[in-house]
Order: sequence, then structure tokens, then C-alpha cells
Amino acid sequence: MTLPGSERGPAAERADTERVSRSVELDAAPAEVWDALTERALLAEWLADEVEIEAEPGGAIVCRYADGEERRGEVELVEEAERLAWSWRREGGAQPSRVELVLDAVAERTRLTVIETPTVFETAPFGTSGPLLAVTWSAPLTRLRTAVRLVLA
Amino acid sequence: MPQHLPQSSGPGGDAAAGAVFAALADPTRRHLVAALAAGGGATATGLAAELPISRQAVAKHLATLGRAGLVSQSRRGRESLFELDPRPLADAAAWLTTVGAEWDTRLAGLQRLLDR
Repeated sequence: MTLPGSERGPAAERADTERVSRSVELDAAPAEVWDALTERALLAEWLADEVEIEAEPGGAIVCRYADGEERRGEVELVEEAERLAWSWRREGGAQPSRVELVLDAVAERTRLTVIETPTVFETAPFGTSGPLLAVTWSAPLTRLRTAVRLVLA
Repeated sequence: MPQHLPQSSGPGGDAAAGAVFAALADPTRRHLVAALAAGGGATATGLAAELPISRQAVAKHLATLGRAGLVSQSRRGRESLFELDPRPLADAAAWLTTVGAEWDTRLAGLQRLLDR
């Protein structure tokens, strides 16, 4: 039997229920956008009030905000002028997530797509403790959100 | 200076969202939640009949969902009746909404920076 949860809708339908996805066209070439994504001074203009980043796999990323909030994480993927990904979590927060930024040249401009996905930890069932394996959550939530609306309405 | 939205938290905040995301990370548990959402309450035996796993395995997954607050349990005769409690899903939905609003703000800032 096919259970309802195993149905996979089209990507566009899934996008907003499992992860956050945004796309914007920027009036700059990919190399220029890349600088804005990887240089501290430029990142401090849009990502956070103060940003530290080592733009290499395994490098640290730290974002500080004027209200005292701090986020820390690790750079996971660096493909110059094409793709950048890091995982981060708010200090004191419980939900880590992964951010992926994809740059596509469109004529003289750049389409930038950002996807932020919650990261969850599967704990081993027996004998071991703590997070064993980080997996990216990709459950279709559409039906569940429908259920939420019905219950909370 | 970039605008910053304070992390909004619903009833359970992002700790509760984390518990929900973790509980739903397993495909079998997603099947169970979907089956309970579609069919109302069910017993572990009834749910096991729809899945290629044992009643014991179903019971273990239901316990995990119960710890995340997604499933409630009551007696029906000699068996337990399990029902979906979708309220914690609102915490997960709130996380998605907050993160989306953060990126709207950040990308608007990036656009302004590059337009200069």
C-alpha cells in the first residue's frame, strides 16, 4: 500500500514546506557577488553586524548582531563564484541548519539562490549516546501543515 | 548596518521545532504521522499491518513521536490507541517562517549593497 506521506509532489510545491528557499537577481557579475558573500567587510553590510568567515571547507563562520545574538558555524562548501555553503546555529538555540548559496550568471547579472534547511540529528538506538549522524530533513510537510490548520483553526 | 529580526519563538520555540524536525527525520516515523493524519487514531497493531515492520518497531517509533509531543496515547480495551497531535508542527512551521523572513531582509540588504 502507498501511504500518503510517501507521495512526492513537484519540487516547487515542496520547497516552502520543508526548507526555506529564496532567489533574487542581482545587478552584478558573479565574481562581484562572490566578494559580497565571502569578504568580512561586505558581509557586515547585509548578513550580520559583524561577520568572521574563513571561506574554505572546515573554516569557521561567526555572525554577531547588535542585539547580542551570535551565530556560529562551519563552512562546508566553497566553489568560487558558484556555490557556498555553511552550517550554523544560534548560540543558545536548539535548531542547527545548513545554508547553501548558488550563483548563476544571467547575462551581466547574477541570480542568487539561497536554501536554508533544518539539520537534525539521528541518535543511535542502543548503546551509544549523542548525535551520531546528521541528516538533512526532507519530509513532505504539506499534509501535516494542512492538519495543523485544521486543528488550530 | 543589516537589519536583524529577533528570533521569534512560538509556544515551544526553536527547541521544540528541533525536536519535531528530529522526530520526523526518519521515513518510518513520517509514514506513521501521515497514516495517523489520514486515518485518525490507530493501534500499534493496526499501523504495523500497513508497514513492513514489526509491531514492536512501530511501538518504538510511536514512543519517539510521543516524546516530541506529536502523538498522544489512550487506552482502548487491551490496546493503546495512538492519535496525532499536530500542535508541535506549528513550531516547525514557525521556524520556516522566521528563517524565510530573515532571508528576505538579508537579500534586500545585499541588493542595496550591490546597487550602489
